[in-house]
This record gives sequence, structure tokens and C-alpha cells, in this order.
Amino acid sequence: MSALHKPPASRRSAMAHAGETSVVKIRAILADIPDPEIPAVSVLDLGIVREVTDDRVVITPTYTGCPATLYIEQAIRRALDANGFMHVRIETALSPPWSTDWISDEGREKLRAYGIAPPPKGAAAASLKNDQRAQCPRCGSLNTVEVSRFGSTPCKALWRCNACVEPFDRFKCH
Amino acid sequence: MDALATSALRLGDDSLVLGQRLSEWCGHAPALEIDLSLANCALDLIGQATHFLGLAGELEGKVRDADTLAYRRDVMDFTNCLLVEQQNGDFAHTIARQFLFSNYQELLFAGLTASKHARFAEIAAKAVKEVAYHAKLASDWVVRLGDGTDESRTRMIAALDWMWRFSDELFVMDEVDAALGIDKAALRPAWDRRIDAALAEAALERPSPRRGVMGGRAGHHSEQLGHLLSEMQFLQRSYPGATW
Amino acid sequence: MYTTDLTGKKQAETVAEDPKKLAAFEARVANDEFIEPKDWMPEAYRKTLIRQISQHAHSEIVGMLPEGNWITRAPNLRRKAILIAKVQDEGGHGLYLYSAAETLGISRDEMTEALHAGKAKYSTIFNYPTLTWADIGAIGWLVDGAAIMNQVPLQRTSYGPYARAMVRICKEESFHQRQGYEIMMAMMAGTPDQQRMAQDAMNRWWWPALMMFGPPDDRSPNTEQSLRWRIKRETNDELRQKFVDITTPQAEAIGLKVPDPALKWNAKRGSYDFGEVDWEEFYAVVRGEGPVAKERMQARVNAWEDGAWVRDAARAHAEKRASAKVAAE
Repeated sequence: MSALHKPPASRRSAMAHAGETSVVKIRAILADIPDPEIPAVSVLDLGIVREVTDDRVVITPTYTGCPATLYIEQAIRRALDANGFMHVRIETALSPPWSTDWISDEGREKLRAYGIAPPPKGAAAASLKNDQRAQCPRCGSLNTVEVSRFGSTPCKALWRCNACVEPFDRFKCH
Repeated sequence: MDALATSALRLGDDSLVLGQRLSEWCGHAPALEIDLSLANCALDLIGQATHFLGLAGELEGKVRDADTLAYRRDVMDFTNCLLVEQQNGDFAHTIARQFLFSNYQELLFAGLTASKHARFAEIAAKAVKEVAYHAKLASDWVVRLGDGTDESRTRMIAALDWMWRFSDELFVMDEVDAALGIDKAALRPAWDRRIDAALAEAALERPSPRRGVMGGRAGHHSEQLGHLLSEMQFLQRSYPGATW
Repeated sequence: MYTTDLTGKKQAETVAEDPKKLAAFEARVANDEFIEPKDWMPEAYRKTLIRQISQHAHSEIVGMLPEGNWITRAPNLRRKAILIAKVQDEGGHGLYLYSAAETLGISRDEMTEALHAGKAKYSTIFNYPTLTWADIGAIGWLVDGAAIMNQVPLQRTSYGPYARAMVRICKEESFHQRQGYEIMMAMMAGTPDQQRMAQDAMNRWWWPALMMFGPPDDRSPNTEQSLRWRIKRETNDELRQKFVDITTPQAEAIGLKVPDPALKWNAKRGSYDFGEVDWEEFYAVVRGEGPVAKERMQARVNAWEDGAWVRDAARAHAEKRASAKVAAE
């Protein structure tokens, strides 16, 4: 099975966790859950987690049809269970809809380091008309051009840098 | 089925059938970029359909889920408009269908975001951003094809002419829509303005008025829907009760 | 998706390279440095890379067809969404890889033309048909699994843009593999009909998956130079063994039988012994004699030819816009 299913980590009692500390611990668990397709960022970085209390985690989907969302919920469930938080419910909220502005500054930096140009901030509302140049994640040049509005996943477009000729993905404004 | 459940079903069926149609292009589009864009639209639509059909099932009484509704109904119980079930034809036909429909769907979802029915409002708020993308994509292609070569212009005119008769049905109001609290007929002027603006940019004329073909909301479809369903539902029909 | 060494011919090295530059290049590569598009590189290296990256890109594009065959018939909404997203992923990878190959001085149109003319190769695996829904599971699990095995070492390949592309592509492929295995798992936990479909798909895809690692090392003339240039990092046979070792227990865990009577755990080696691949079949498929090779190529050519008027229109429109802009200025 190796690569496909990791055995659960050592189980601990949930009884010890209470209030504030639980929330801190749950957030720490979530910070370790990677996006299934872009594992450089965690579900926290992406802004998918809307709310954490000591008995529930509220998440929101990025795109209505994004298959990663389904796996993220399963991954969160497994991680919570493995750490003794069996009683914590996972709820999905659609409203207000997720936008790329919810990606944290840390998440943006991780995307860049991973080779994906992060979406410009504050531009989500104007995403259709947004023709701002992407910055090459490799050499930093703004002399770049869009190759395809649609890339390998709904969240990405394909760009090319004219300075270092590197093709690169850009996380689209949404 | 009560009116609200039927409303959710209509919204879900529109997205499902159009998503199914668009996905037929996968791997066969005129350019790789187009292939990706159509697949992306299909994915959005299937996602929306899942939400709306799920909601329809809940409102109906929690017996049928989204999959049961998608895979276990026959033609007469499908409530999508006739426009979305039209065959892909050439790329111009696919674009004409998308252009007429996505512009309608964007206006509809934008209106629904203010609905007093919170579940509809939140799905619409999520979906309207995606559909705005579809409308922009289709409108851009109408302009490119209309104002491209002689051949593309001829094909675009023929495609609009083919799809046009199915547009009236989009704006027909009945008691089901009234229960949802959205006035579809009132969307028409804004839709006309959008359509006319893109056609003007493409130097294309609006197709001449004609009698609208209708019936989808009542389960009276074109001949193509049965074929679409028999393909889509093939596994569920052949192996009833199996989980996949 | 990707396959190694399809040609089986040694590239003719006709260009006489500057020995000093060549030595410096070889030293950089030996030192595990990345070669970037604007760096000097020997012509044979450039050609080998173009061949490999474009083959890889073509494989992604042709690979959309066998799976695309089941999108309209996916058994539920979730599986349908996952499959559409997967095929979009492959198209996106193809596009990315074409762009990476373009950094070496070839155009996408040239590469497409070579594919349609039958001059360029793509992964032989896609010349097998997808007959039941279980084939979608088998492709995700076995074919993507083999592809990942091939691609993981390429994350450290010497050509920078290719290596960096591989890092991200491998992550996305791993996601696919999980989904494929999940399909097989669901079917093996299902009805006898479903189990029969799953085992049948296993029987048909196992050997072609093993062929994805290319010919045996003693018949793979490009291997030695490619290893030296860090275009390749492990040999075909090493990767094939690794695949068998990882996949066999996965099959057994869900009750699938590996269709190889010679398959046996060898405790001494800490690996599975397995039977000989039918190399005659492999070479036939490479020659373009796979069961649906003609259908696959015809589908690509038809899409390209039927879409010519669309691409012409887009070009004509862009030119009109550009000249209108010039006139206005």
C-alpha cells in the first residue's frame, strides 16, 4: 500500500484538549495538510479553512467543480482523527464565496518559491478585466506573456517569461 | 415535487446537460488552449449541477441525491431548457449555444445571489464568478469568429441562426420561477444589450425574429436528449445498484 | 505521462563541438548543475532533449483520448468531475511541456506537424483501447503510476525548465494515481460484474504498463549517454523493477491478481521476480502497430484539420485588431 495510504499517526486522547489550546492544536494540524495538487501550500495557506472552534472546522470550496476539495475534506478528517480530534465536525460553507484574496501572504510566497506566480491581491473582483502582467517566479521579470488562459487545473493559467524564457503557471485571480 | 425543489432541479439540469455536451469536446477541440477552456467550463457546470441537484433532492424530501437525480430519470423528467441539449455541431455552434446561454445564466445567478432563499443565493454567488468567465469566453469567440475570416463569419452566422429559436424559452416565467422569486422575463433587456453589444463588435446582425421553440421545462425535449441520457446513464442503467 | 527511449536508434552526432566548451558543459552536468535555455549546450544534447520533451508532450495530448472516451459515460457526478479535471490536467501538462521544448528553439507547430506526420513518437500505452470503466481506474493507477516512476528522477534532470516542470507535474500525477486506485478499490469492493471488469482491465494494462519503462537496458543504446548527461537518472530495468515491487502489494491488497505466473517474491533480493515482457509486442506497438494506433492518430489529425478554420479566424482577427490599433495611433 505504501505510497497510497499512510497509517494513522499515534492516537492521543481528545480529553486533554480544551478550548483555546484545542483551537491552536487544530490549526497546527491543518497547517500540515497540503493541497493535494499543489502540496507546497497547506489548506490554511489557501484560505480554504473559514473557521476553527474546539468542535468544528468550517471549510469552503475553491471552485464548484474542483476535485481537490473532496480530497481535502477526507485529508482533514483523517488528520483530525489521527490526532484524537474525532469529535470535531467538518462543515462546508459556500458563502461568502472563496476568492484568491483569501490566500495568505505566506501562501503566496510559498507558491512563488514553488514556481507558480501568485495571484495579485485585491484584484479578485476585477478578475475578468485584469490584464496585469504576471511576475516571473524564477527571475522576477515583468516582461511576461500569457500563453493560455487555462492551464492544467482550473486555478492556473500558463505564462512565459520573455527575459529568461521560462514557462510558468500563474494562479488566476478568482 | 414542490416549486422550490423544481427550481433547483431546473438549474441543475441546465448545468448538467450543458456540462455533458461540452465534455464531448475533450481531446478533439480546434486547439489545445480551446480544449482546456471547454473542459474547464464543463467542470464548472458539473460542479454547479452537483450543488443544485443536491439541493433539489434535499428540498424534495431527502430520498434522492444528486446522482440519483442525474442518473435515474428519463427524458420526460428532465427540466433543462432546449438550448443546452443542442448538439455541439462545429465550434461555431458550440460557441453560439454558450454565448446565448452563459449570458443568460450570469444574469440569472447574479439575480439569485440576492434571493431570500439562502441556499440558492449561496450556490449562485459561488457559481456566478465562474459563469461570468464562460460568458466572456463565448462572447470573445463570437467576436473573433464573426470578425475573422469569411469562412468563420459564415459559420458563425449559421450557428447563431440555428440556436436563436431556443433563446425565448430562457425567459419564460411560470409559477415555479415565481416561487423562487426571480423574474426571468425581466432579465431579457439586459441580456439583449449584452448580445447586441457582442454582435455589434463582431459586425454580425441579430438573427431575424422567429417563433421560439419551447417545452424543456415541461419535459418535452428535442430528439437529442434521449441519446445524451442513454450515453450518460449507461453504467447506472446497466448495473443498477452498483457503487462506483 | 511519459516513456523512455522509443526510437532504439543511436542519434548521429554530426556536429563537431568545441572541445573546451564541451568539457566545461560535461563538468557542470557532472556537478549536478542545471543547464538553462540561454546556456551553451552541445547540439546532440539539445536534440535529445527536444525529442524527449516533445515525446512527453505528445504523450500527454494523445493520452487525453483513451480517458476522454469515458468522460460522457462516467458513472456518477463526482467521478465525472474528477475525470474531466484529469484530462484537463493532461492537456495542461502537454501545453506546459511544449512551452518547455520551445525554450530549446523549436516551435509548437513544428512539433505538432511531426506528430501528425508520424515522425514523432508518443507513449505506446495510449495505443491500447479503453473498453470498460475499470480501464479508467487501471490507467490512473498503473499508467500514471509508471509515469510517475519515470518522472520522479527527472525532477533532477540537467535541463532546468524540464526539471522544474517535472516537480509540479509529478505532484499532479500523484493525485491522479490515487484517484485511479480508488476506482479500482471501489470496483473490487463491488458486485461480481464490477470485479470482473477490474480484473479484466488489470489483465490488459499490466504488461503495457511494464513496457512504459522502455526496452531492456542491454537493448537501450541511448541510456548510457543520457545517464551521463543527467537527462536520465535511472535505467529502464531499475525503474521497471521498482514499479513491480510497489504495485504488486497494492494489487493484492484489493484482491486483484497480477497476470504474471512467474511473479514471485524473492527474499534474497528483497524484490519480486517477474516474467519477461513480450518485446515483440513492444516493438510492434512502437512501430505504430498498436491496436488503436490508427484511431488515435486519426482523432488528432481530424481535430487539427477540422479546427483549422477556427485557428485561421483567430489569427485573422488578431491581425485586424493589431492593424486597427496601428492605424489609430
